[in-house]
Amino acid sequence: MIDVKKHIIESDVLVVGGGIGGLMAAIAAADGGADVIVAEKSDTRRSGSGATGNDHFTCYIPEVHQCGIEVILEELNNSLVGGNADPYIQLKFLSRSFEVVQDWNKWGINMQPHGEWEFNGHAYPGRKRIFLKYDGYNQKEVLTKEALKRNVRIVNKTPVTDFLTYNGRIVGAIGIDITKEEPEIVIFKAKAVISATGNTSRLYPSITPSQLFNTGHCPNNTGAGRAAAYRAGAKLINLEIPNTHAGPKYFERCGKATWIGVISDVMGNSIGPFVDKPTKELGDITADVWHSVFTDKMQDGTGPVYMNCTETSKEDMDYMLWGLKCEGDTSLIDALDDAGVSLKRDMVEFTKYEPILVGRGIEIDEFGRTSVDGLYSAGDEVGNFRCDISGAAVMGRFAGEHASGYVKDVNNDGIDLFSHKTVLEAQKFYSRLYENKGSSTWEEFNHGIQSILDDYAGIRYVRSKTLLESGLEYLDHLEQKAKNELIVNNSHELMRALECFVLLQIGRLICLTALERKETRGMHKRSDYPFTNPLLNKKFLTIRRLENGKNELEWRDMRIN
Amino acid sequence: MPPIIDKDKCKKCGLCAQICGLDVYGPYEKDTVPIVRYPSECWHCNACVLDCPAKAIKLKLPLSMPILYRRLKGEDND
Ligand SMILES: Cc1cc2nc3c(=O)[nH]c(=O)nc-3n(C[C@H](O)[C@H](O)[C@H](O)COP(=O)(O)OP(=O)(O)OC[C@H]3O[C@@H](n4cnc5c(N)ncnc54)[C@H](O)[C@@H]3O)c2cc1C
Repeated sequence: MIDVKKHIIESDVLVVGGGIGGLMAAIAAADGGADVIVAEKSDTRRSGSGATGNDHFTCYIPEVHQCGIEVILEELNNSLVGGNADPYIQLKFLSRSFEVVQDWNKWGINMQPHGEWEFNGHAYPGRKRIFLKYDGYNQKEVLTKEALKRNVRIVNKTPVTDFLTYNGRIVGAIGIDITKEEPEIVIFKAKAVISATGNTSRLYPSITPSQLFNTGHCPNNTGAGRAAAYRAGAKLINLEIPNTHAGPKYFERCGKATWIGVISDVMGNSIGPFVDKPTKELGDITADVWHSVFTDKMQDGTGPVYMNCTETSKEDMDYMLWGLKCEGDTSLIDALDDAGVSLKRDMVEFTKYEPILVGRGIEIDEFGRTSVDGLYSAGDEVGNFRCDISGAAVMGRFAGEHASGYVKDVNNDGIDLFSHKTVLEAQKFYSRLYENKGSSTWEEFNHGIQSILDDYAGIRYVRSKTLLESGLEYLDHLEQKAKNELIVNNSHELMRALECFVLLQIGRLICLTALERKETRGMHKRSDYPFTNPLLNKKFLTIRRLENGKNELEWRDMRIN
Repeated sequence: MPPIIDKDKCKKCGLCAQICGLDVYGPYEKDTVPIVRYPSECWHCNACVLDCPAKAIKLKLPLSMPILYRRLKGEDND
């Protein structure tokens, strides 16, 4: 049997995931007087999608924008992070976004790299611009230091695998210590848990299917928070509408809006209606609006589609290369150099990436609370709000603030977590995997999940009742085989194997919710319901596991206020 | 394939293994040159390249991830 560590790590607030949302939650909870632990899968200094930087921070600065907040809200919903969100949360987020910008600036993240509040990129000609250009290359280091200054304790290299509940409220979590070969189970006891494990990558084959970790967002984020929250009884929301990003081919990397070029055909002619000549103020928003431009042009033979920076001015080209560094895309710059690409005369092919979950996941309210008492969520793993870096930062703060107040009235005395059912079951299951005499690797398992989701619940083909139901059955078969046949040699492989069970679980929830959405909407294309049903406009679908193990699917209205 | 550590430059501080967001180095043994145990799990984020105090690390993109580009202009228009 895998050992459970004798020492329980106890705190008022446990933050799961030390990315942008998690660190901001930890800082706010500590400021609110709580004793805080961050459990992080790798190391907060360089973990997650914001590991080496970001450069666009969506926010509302009244004196710069010179307009009401509703105007900015509209732009937000017209942008790549809009839609599928509750406007009452978006408004609260916008109203406090500048406050976070100012704090980051004070702490040492340069939010005014050119001495002023500069908005550009992802923008429509003649409209308000909402993406503040900043230099985020040191954001993880700075936020880690701010957390440590407030006596937040950071437990690195400890992926959390499940949450613990007691009488319907959260009381802690369990994780695996991966600092040594031999895995050990770690128990965390807490009065509130803030889950912030980021996006879900690795559900679908990457654009280079042999490279599991060639993903635009961080491939270490595999949906642990979503799956644990679901098992704890929390509602998940908006899982069934696929979401994709785009960028260079075949090296997947986010940061499309940092490029200053025109989306062009092979002759170098602009494809979209927005710009002919690239400028740093606008970029070319075509791909944010026409998501399928890359695949459409491949399918009709008029492709490929390129990012064309050959007409970009010298000044804007320097600005773009500087921006890519702030964005954390130094490896992309190195790869372009290594390939001998000169952006002044070469066009780089762009493509659509595989679906990931961002802004599809855990349902929260305006304080970051989920439907389970004491469980909060923030950042990319939230399902009814999305605003990437600034969304994670601001909503992380809201969750931390609220949780630090909530824990004051909670008492966990006398709750024995060593004999908790979830701990015992996890110990049994992880030990079973570890002691299996199998010969199949977690990589095979991950590829198997990706193939099934791609074919039966993806965007490559359509979706339909027969396809989705077949997918569900195939996932069950694969899970059974994996339980018996996997080989797990050490703590690292145990972490990866458990990720796959989580991916499979999330895949199953995607199938179930996609079955329930009996219409076509966005990239959710149902061949048996080939139309968009107006009755489902502004309605969201939630799924939750009931105590009897059954799923409850519910529609609810988008919340305006 | 990535990352590649120059053994002669490496100061054996283990920082790369500690900060790696993907655990491609696995558990680190003190005072040794880190071993890249899980190269196929590299995200190519450059964190270890940027943070290595000895500048001893390079990333190499696998051949299966080539950058695709086409030349539009004959000459550099500097
Ligand atoms: C190259 C790139 C450029 C980008 N540029 C921009 C930009 O300019 N503007 C913008 O708005 N957005 C940008 N984004 C997106 C932005 O980085 C994310 O939206 C943001 O980081 C989300 O924060 P988060 O806290 O939700 O997740 P993350 O920052 O990804 O953090 C998740 C954390 O959870 C940890 N974790 C995962 N699983 C577990 C587990 N089981 N147990 C414990 N810990 C776990 C991870 O290790 C990580 O530390 C970019 C992304 C990339 C990849």
